Amino acid sequence: MFDFLIQGFGVALTPLNLGLAFLGALLGTLFGALPGIGPINGIAILMPLAYTLGLPAESALILLAGIYTGSEYGGRMSSILLNVPGDAGAVMTTLDGHPLAKKGLAGPALGLSAVSSFIGATIAIVGLTLFAPLLAVVAVKFGPAEFFALMIFAFASMSAMMGKDPIKTLIGAVLGVLISTVGVDSGTGVLRFTFDMPELYDGIDFVVMIIGLFAVSEILLMLEHAFRHDQEGEMAPIGRVMVKMSEVLYCKWAILRSSVIGFVIGVLPGTGASVASAVAYTTEKRISDHDNSFGTGNMRGLAAPEAANNASAAGSFVPMLTLGIPGSGTTAILLGALMLYNINPGPMMFREQPVVVGGLIASLYIGNVMLLLLNLPLAGVFARVLQVPRWLLVPSVAILAFVGVYQLHSDLMAIYLMLVIGVFGYLLRKFGFSLAPVVLGFVLGGLMEENLRRALSISGGDVGILFQSGLSIGLWIAAALVVLVPMFAGKLKAKFLPAAKPS
Amino acid sequence: MRLAADRILSLLLLGLAAFIAVQAWQLQVPFSYDPVGPKAFPLLLSGLLAVLAIVLFIRPGASGQWPSGALLLRLVITMAVLGIYAALFINLGYLVTTALVSIVIAWLFGATPMKAIIGGLLLALGSYLLFTYGLGISLPTGSWIEPLLGSN
Repeated sequence: MFDFLIQGFGVALTPLNLGLAFLGALLGTLFGALPGIGPINGIAILMPLAYTLGLPAESALILLAGIYTGSEYGGRMSSILLNVPGDAGAVMTTLDGHPLAKKGLAGPALGLSAVSSFIGATIAIVGLTLFAPLLAVVAVKFGPAEFFALMIFAFASMSAMMGKDPIKTLIGAVLGVLISTVGVDSGTGVLRFTFDMPELYDGIDFVVMIIGLFAVSEILLMLEHAFRHDQEGEMAPIGRVMVKMSEVLYCKWAILRSSVIGFVIGVLPGTGASVASAVAYTTEKRISDHDNSFGTGNMRGLAAPEAANNASAAGSFVPMLTLGIPGSGTTAILLGALMLYNINPGPMMFREQPVVVGGLIASLYIGNVMLLLLNLPLAGVFARVLQVPRWLLVPSVAILAFVGVYQLHSDLMAIYLMLVIGVFGYLLRKFGFSLAPVVLGFVLGGLMEENLRRALSISGGDVGILFQSGLSIGLWIAAALVVLVPMFAGKLKAKFLPAAKPS
Repeated sequence: MRLAADRILSLLLLGLAAFIAVQAWQLQVPFSYDPVGPKAFPLLLSGLLAVLAIVLFIRPGASGQWPSGALLLRLVITMAVLGIYAALFINLGYLVTTALVSIVIAWLFGATPMKAIIGGLLLALGSYLLFTYGLGISLPTGSWIEPLLGSN
């Protein structure tokens, strides 16, 4: 049953792939540590690098996954030291991380968060190893109708879990799917939404889309922050970097609980680190905050979200590798990267691409150890990255974005398109959208339409086929439940517990 | 009625949904055995988008902080600089355009002119060496330099 893992270690332990895992870990940590650039931006900016190096699919994926997990590690630094979360997943880390740094415990906070990240990721990677083959067996039973229902479920669970604005999450997803319909329709050869521009016939290129959406819009947002002079917190002195064993033991249950929470939420399609760390933090606060010290620099309040967001990062690989449905915005980017290698994401991936899947899972184990070894002794060195002035950082991001797109296309149209998408991404972010649903919609859109049409051509146009098998009915019900339960749970609570204070 | 940012957005989205629906409707579809065809999916999406936009109009969120004045000007300048970067990227070559753009952006982000010039020059040169010799990417040298090199 675990042949894939043994085979995977064979792939991941070749000198090239070991080197790439290390490079990914290093670059990911550095990029995640840069102020304002979180994991998803880090991977968007560095993605073209994988193609530049002309790597085979599994090696490229190992590098990208290394960048992903590495930037989850690096993202905590600006949260703790500057009170600036790199992205939504790191917001919870600031709540207790920064107060700890203010107390002069920045070093131990960095050490503890590295250890809890490591434990969270390890538990989740073991979970991935055990759980993925089981799910892959079920996945083989998926036909186009089930696959379509599964994607509906992914969007439903995302809109229910992404918290503050479910309507905007859904709008974002619909916009993403719409963008994916640009270009030649594969079924009939009809040109859709190309407006007679030959550059659009092949659809909007994935790299152009991702770099525009994240990197270019990030430049504009950073300009805004710089102008308003917010986020320019004093950097706390680091002090001793090593964390004491007693401090880790104090947090052991917090770490274990949060790792499991993070893994489960990571596995749910469409929900990622931001939800996982928020749920873990509030759970831990309820269970172990006896003296009301969460938010003032409680070690457990730091360990819980850090364990959870790293666990969810590994957990989000489960649906991506077994079903072809990304578990988070970042895995959506990884999945899009795989599609560039003509690897069709979907239920058969686990069977058809054992080298890629096994190699990736094995490299997660290796990369995780590398990250711990890098992050414990070198926290002080990485922290210095935070002091890179914005006026050097921003041109660098612009250069990476331009060179990344140029060397893939050698075409000015692609660069203009990237800039236009950048403005679009900036406006979306100003309107309070999260970009993850847009990316998820963009990546899944083509598959969604393809499966819908395939299902309907099997049935000769009868929509009933979508609700025929037990599996698809189950998925439709699950999709309805994740949307409806939170809506009614709030109302029921208000009805039956009128005395309960709103928290 | 106060016009919140979300209300404006919802009107824009309604317009977009209508535009998509019209565009999709006008697609000329050749005969095929595909019972769905290329129209249905975009039409379905535009309907969904319209419904969501109406919900957003009824229940708009907070408007947030929108840039204005000097900040808006800087944002526009930044985009213009990036647009000019793109336009000149191939003809003027990587080194020159990157140095100029880095200097302007660094200055926009509050560096002193001296720092911006030194930083921009070093950034352009350093990244050129890294990309060309470290990663083997071929970057445009610029069409103006070729006659100087005497290539005939």
